Amino acid sequence: MLAVAGLLGACGTGPAEGSSNGPAAADGKPVYGGTLTYLEHQPPTCLYLPAAGFYPNGGILNQITDKLTWQNPKTLEIEPWIAAKWEINEDATEYTFHLRDGVTFSDGTPLDAEAVAANFDVYGLGDEKLKLPVAEFVNNYERSEVVDRLTVKFHFTKPSPGFLQGTSVIGAGLVSKKTIALPYEEQCQLKNIIGSGPFTVKNQIVDKQVDLAVRKDYDWAPPSSPHQGRAYLDEIKIIVTPEDNVRVGALTSGQADFVRYVQAYDEETVKSAGFTLYAEPTRGVNNGLYLRPGNSFLKDRDVRKALQAGTDAKEVVETLFTPSYPVATSVLSHLAQGYVDLSKELAYDPGRANALLDKAGWTRGTDGVREKDGRKLQLGVFVSGPQPLSKQTLELIGQQWSEIGVKLEIRPADAGTQAVDIKDAEKTAVSHSMVGRADQDVIKSHFHSQNRDVILSDDKELDRLLEEESAEPDTAKRNAKVAEIQRYVIDQGYAIPLFEEPQVYGGAPYVHGVAFEAVARPWFYSVWKSARN
Amino acid sequence: MARYLLLRTGQATLVLWAAFTTAYVLLQLLPGDSILIKFQNPELGLSPQQIAEIRARYDGGASPLAAYATTLLGFLRGDFGYSVDTGTPVVERLAEALPATATLAGAGFLLAVLIAVVIAFAAGYSRTSWIRGALLAVPSLFVSVPVFWLGILLIQVFSFRLGLVPVIGGSEIQQLILPVLTLAVPIAAPIAQILARSIDRVQAQPFVPVVAAKGASRWWILWRHVARNAALPALTVAGLTFGELIAGSVVTETVFGRNGIGRLTEQAVNAQDTPVMLAVVVLATVVFVVVNLAVDVLFPVLDPRLRTAVA
Repeated sequence: MLAVAGLLGACGTGPAEGSSNGPAAADGKPVYGGTLTYLEHQPPTCLYLPAAGFYPNGGILNQITDKLTWQNPKTLEIEPWIAAKWEINEDATEYTFHLRDGVTFSDGTPLDAEAVAANFDVYGLGDEKLKLPVAEFVNNYERSEVVDRLTVKFHFTKPSPGFLQGTSVIGAGLVSKKTIALPYEEQCQLKNIIGSGPFTVKNQIVDKQVDLAVRKDYDWAPPSSPHQGRAYLDEIKIIVTPEDNVRVGALTSGQADFVRYVQAYDEETVKSAGFTLYAEPTRGVNNGLYLRPGNSFLKDRDVRKALQAGTDAKEVVETLFTPSYPVATSVLSHLAQGYVDLSKELAYDPGRANALLDKAGWTRGTDGVREKDGRKLQLGVFVSGPQPLSKQTLELIGQQWSEIGVKLEIRPADAGTQAVDIKDAEKTAVSHSMVGRADQDVIKSHFHSQNRDVILSDDKELDRLLEEESAEPDTAKRNAKVAEIQRYVIDQGYAIPLFEEPQVYGGAPYVHGVAFEAVARPWFYSVWKSARN
Repeated sequence: MARYLLLRTGQATLVLWAAFTTAYVLLQLLPGDSILIKFQNPELGLSPQQIAEIRARYDGGASPLAAYATTLLGFLRGDFGYSVDTGTPVVERLAEALPATATLAGAGFLLAVLIAVVIAFAAGYSRTSWIRGALLAVPSLFVSVPVFWLGILLIQVFSFRLGLVPVIGGSEIQQLILPVLTLAVPIAAPIAQILARSIDRVQAQPFVPVVAAKGASRWWILWRHVARNAALPALTVAGLTFGELIAGSVVTETVFGRNGIGRLTEQAVNAQDTPVMLAVVVLATVVFVVVNLAVDVLFPVLDPRLRTAVA
């Protein structure tokens, strides 16, 4: 591998314009036309919209579907898009959206109140007969009401302040009535997804390539977008290229224009070849280890707090990652809503860790691993496939924990075993995970016993706090609740936040105007290519 | 000959059934299943009860033996069921993947045989001992090169550095060049080794000096007399390398981002997509059995001494 990396470093033959950081601003006058070659790391899976969170899925769906609202990735404010304006009643149980006129799906049918209602009825309630599951971003949904051709109203059983942001997320992409009436297996397939977005699917080679073509009559970009009308590009070729250094090499040798998932160790190669690195924040629950109180060792809060104090997140980032991966200072990213800085509580303190474990009655055995009542302090964790360098991260933390006498048993991510054991706190005491979403509800998604439930929570108090947060219509009060939850989670030792996980992309210097939604999925609507030099 | 063929076909059927059954049982014994893997996706937010309901919808709660019988009968009819991962018929997925892999494996195999023949004959013809030694060392080198590493190296040098062949985009032929080369190298090695060794052995036999004494040139002897006799063991090995072609295509297709049976297998294993895995096992067994049957039938054609033995 080293030899290969060396070769890679030596072959920066791409156009060198000096390295630039951050998105290339629209320097010069945008030009229409051209094809963007975009290399994906993995093939898309099921494209049913509520499952679009998986980045390869989102990378496609973000180009072919529009949403009711647009979340400004800088301010996180919700701005108009397909909905020109909206009203929300005082306790956030009724939302009325007034749609923009003249919007059509690519099959020619109108994007009207009926279509929107049909979409959200499925996202909010699921459909037993069509096997369509409920979407994570809709809570307490009761029903829709078509007021007139362009006005739709949603009713909720309980306050749902997160719903407005929910209408802007990738999974809330609007599809034609024909698509939404299909059974789950059919909606999984890209060829059946009819959206109203700036691009349409032109051709697909399953698991290998998706070609998108511009929709020439597209004229309903978010009003806040400086670019309006059709997209600049004629075509986007999304090609699955699983090998890391083939993706990076193809970019720097000029065979591709844009790539997703530049590994931390490849960042320097991209930059030194004069290419642009985009490290986009995901603004949600941080990459970290989540400790399960249902485990017979971890039910003791002292043990959880000891593991927290005995983990050096800074060392993990400095050894394995780059400045694109900021060290975590709370359960949430510092760009998340309601974030509160808890770095003091998370300071690395092996002395305190050892003292806590001594106090809890764990004594060191001959092999250095602590024991109590004849049982070794050994905890299981699965390597997490979607997390960058998960295995290496866990190995490093395993070393840190061995210094405080705890053994971390790292198991490979074999899908079958993982699916069985992941819900068993005895076998899987620790979960390595994260979740991105730019709304206060992200913390509920991660921890609530009825949602992702990464800690397999039996903590009624935590569930209560999370429910209060998700039903609080006042933003300031809601943010205060989020802060309270972060303190509670850290204080209880449920979380060992490591770093704020970004999505890292690489782009050629002649690619301009790349934008991302709030959770780092690329939006190629305003992208244009200047002449290569 | 007819009886021989009948006997071999019977054997082949038995092998196929055994492979099917073993694979079926082993896949059932794996922990977890594709339905759990697919629907436990936290974004879907399904409870264990809901997942259990979905499962009931998929397998209809049949007994294990009945399920086995249904699957076996389906396979006999050419109905391999549905991929749980994508919901498409398995036959469709195989049909999409097969041509690409067949092209890759076929071209890789031909190139491998060509490389092997060139090495073995050059070594057999050469009188300079160091050239001979060097040529004979090549297969050992080939066989120890990991396919994965070789693929990356070829891409880095020929595509990224020298810019001779694109890996992204490019024509059908351009897209084949590097993968075929990657696949051919490790396959060429055992064929070359066996061929070179049997050429040596045959050249040591008494009939060779006799032919030489009659005035035949060294090239004539090597081509007309030695090669025919030396081809048999190499043919057997060539048949056996088929397994390696499949294994090699998994890696090659992943490195080069090509679609095919290899990628399909990799994805099916990751998602524990049992119907797809079962179909791939059966397909591989069929091809393996057919290739070996063909090799056995070819033997008497190449070697007259074997004709009476099976007639």
